[in-house]
Amino acid sequence: MPALSGFLWLISYWLIGEVVIHFTALPISSGVIGMLLLCATLAVRGRVPTSIAAAAQPLIALLAMLIMPGVVGVFFIIGELAGQWSAILIALVLGTLLSVITTLWLLKRLIGQPHVR
Amino acid sequence: MSADTPLLTLLTTTPLFAVGLTLAAYLLGSALFQRLKRPSWLPAILIAALLLAGALALIGLPYATYQQGATWLTVLLGPATVALGMPLYQQLPRIVELWRPLAICLPIAATLAACYSLAIAWLLGSSDTILASIAAKSVTAPIAIGITEQLGGTVALLLGALLVTGVITIPCVSLAARWLHIDDERLIGFALGLNGHAIGTVRAFEISPTAGAFASLGMSLTGIFTAVLLPLAWRLISMGS
Repeated sequence: MPALSGFLWLISYWLIGEVVIHFTALPISSGVIGMLLLCATLAVRGRVPTSIAAAAQPLIALLAMLIMPGVVGVFFIIGELAGQWSAILIALVLGTLLSVITTLWLLKRLIGQPHVR
Repeated sequence: MSADTPLLTLLTTTPLFAVGLTLAAYLLGSALFQRLKRPSWLPAILIAALLLAGALALIGLPYATYQQGATWLTVLLGPATVALGMPLYQQLPRIVELWRPLAICLPIAATLAACYSLAIAWLLGSSDTILASIAAKSVTAPIAIGITEQLGGTVALLLGALLVTGVITIPCVSLAARWLHIDDERLIGFALGLNGHAIGTVRAFEISPTAGAFASLGMSLTGIFTAVLLPLAWRLISMGS
């Protein structure tokens, strides 16, 4: 059962993240700490064990489904925002467009367009 | 309606009902997305979320009850976030190659991602609570919830802001990339993750594993950067005013 032991690894890293947060009071989520730890471990080992790949790949593919229950909550608070939501929507849409353009423009200036190799 | 209620109560005693509902909406949403020839302005997750919200309203299941059952799925978000360490490692050589431009770009872009929307909302006269709720709009959900609680915002509104931001990021990136003549998957992925958190990252993995890895990188760096600096900056600004 390689996927199962890989899954145990992922859970362990997440739990380690929880412990780290408990002792350091870092305002970061344990998932992110676990992710960085996993990346560091793999870099030290120099390869991805089949067990981790077997557990990580399907989980990454399911990310969209895992955030769905939280996302659906939005439709149930629309009533509470009467009169405010048009301003919020404009701010989010326009702000995101501006920020995406800035990010890409900045990256293009800093990296340039590499030639296709 | 009243005849349905005992049945509904019976079904919702087990989390399997909420889990099954979520799986059904997800699969149906994905199938519809394929049928519509994968439109970039209507991501699969939005179709699925609309279907799910419609189903909940139709059968009269309160969101809180559904959410409780769906915890069986959402608890997997933790290990799934950890799993992103794998593509991150696999793309490490390409990331190291670009560390300098990424290190310069990230603080500026992550700060602006929050500031643009805050400035616009403030100009349109939004209340402090709303500003606090949308400040972390480009940060991945588990981190953003922590930030929003520190700032004194509403978590439900934050999740809404996350959805809108994530969904709108996808067409914005394809539009801006075309406009700026960018076809480098690394840049597109990084921009998707930095601005559109998990939803942008999911989209980037649909483009290619490289784009996905850069999106995971952009998402996690933005999350860490914002988590550390936004509460601090917020406190300074509140003290000043």
